[in-house]
Amino acid sequence: MRTVVCNKNDMAPGDMKEATLGRASIVICRTSDGEFYAFANRCIHQGAPLSKGKLCGAPEPTDKVGEYKFCREGEIIRCPWHGREFDAKNEGRTLSNPKFKLKEYKVEIEEDQVVVYK
Amino acid sequence: MTKEREKLNLIDTDIHERVSYEELLPYLENPWKRYITDCHWIQEKRMPYTQPAVAGVDRADARVPDGRPAGSDLGFMQKQLLDDVGHEFGILTGALDPSPSSMHGWYEMASALARAYNNWQIENWLEKDDRLYGSVHICANDVTEAVKEIERVGPHPKMVQVLLPIDDFMWGDPYYHPIYEAAQRHDLVIGMHHNEPPLYYGKWPRYFIEWHTLLPTSHMMQVTNMVFNGVFEKFPKLKLLMIEGGFTHMPHLMRKMDQQYKDLRHEVPWIKRMPSDIVREHIKFTTQPLEEMSKREFMQLIEQMGSEDLVCFSTDYPHWDYDSPFAALPPNLDEGLRRKIFSENARALYPKLPQSKGGN
Repeated sequence: MRTVVCNKNDMAPGDMKEATLGRASIVICRTSDGEFYAFANRCIHQGAPLSKGKLCGAPEPTDKVGEYKFCREGEIIRCPWHGREFDAKNEGRTLSNPKFKLKEYKVEIEEDQVVVYK
Repeated sequence: MTKEREKLNLIDTDIHERVSYEELLPYLENPWKRYITDCHWIQEKRMPYTQPAVAGVDRADARVPDGRPAGSDLGFMQKQLLDDVGHEFGILTGALDPSPSSMHGWYEMASALARAYNNWQIENWLEKDDRLYGSVHICANDVTEAVKEIERVGPHPKMVQVLLPIDDFMWGDPYYHPIYEAAQRHDLVIGMHHNEPPLYYGKWPRYFIEWHTLLPTSHMMQVTNMVFNGVFEKFPKLKLLMIEGGFTHMPHLMRKMDQQYKDLRHEVPWIKRMPSDIVREHIKFTTQPLEEMSKREFMQLIEQMGSEDLVCFSTDYPHWDYDSPFAALPPNLDEGLRRKIFSENARALYPKLPQSKGGN
């Protein structure tokens, strides 16, 4: 199964977009480096629609108490409800515990079209 | 009965020895001494109540026969507690009067009291009974002096922990971190024991029973504060014992901290693992005051903590809510777990305790 989501240029780096693939709701993310990723549009916690959240950055883990280094702008999906963080560039894994991740879909750019496959 | 008691091999993690100000005077220098002798200084008190048991804060039968307060005589304590129960070791935690780290000012006086108390404790208790180990008292709010005191008496072979009272200071604050660095360097555990924490939004509930019921919430605050302020990430060898808060609140708190971490990790990016894993690696809890429960209920709580290694038996002698080692735990606990609670978890916690009965 495949679905054409939009033209590549319809999404700027940092954008998220909701789409459907068959009966599944999916979220397409264009990360700050211009790459495209697609995940199930459903937070693994309580099912919130991730496309209503933010594709943003996060303070990176640090060894220094009290230090905030905000980075990775446009790479982290933040859930609209509880704020849980998913790493778009690492298979949709949660930042708090990489054991858990979103369902990921394959994305291809075909003649400037963003195409998602199941 | 004697045979049964010999099997206990108890390491008691909360015994309160008591000093009178008069006994402390020879250990104090001036001007501090004269503020007691001439000006009648006493430790600040904030609770509106007394401890409404038969004999106040103490077991009514623990008063020394000559009339002195409970916990003030080594010989009587040996007879009533250490010999009778058959203690392998006992950790002294002080009577929190004086409690230098509880003081809200005059930290020079507090530091002097801490030095005097430590000297008194070493001379009159630790060096007089092989079974007794001690707590380093400090004035934590003068962190430089506190570290100096840890350097001074921390290396004593019978000193096994640094005592921090729970009042209204949050001990995870980075201001206090030099204390943890010094404790870690000297293989000392941090022992936290509540003193007089105001629990109702910084005020006092109307009745003692409310305050006493909710004491574990003050322990929960300190555990949460220590974990999320990154104390254990910064000092990876540091261990903490929460004394006299019990442990039955911890299944809830561990789960709650984990849940919060999943959603709010970004606020504390120095925390890089589940808070419950930090608790299991760094913190232990004393049993007393243990709620009465069945073996099944007890085991459910242990299971929810995810470890049999976190709970250490404590009597709280000579206080009124003393837990008897012969009666406080539910009957028929598995022998392996009983041994852990009675001695092995405490032995694993304190690196300076002899690692096998009879010395290492």
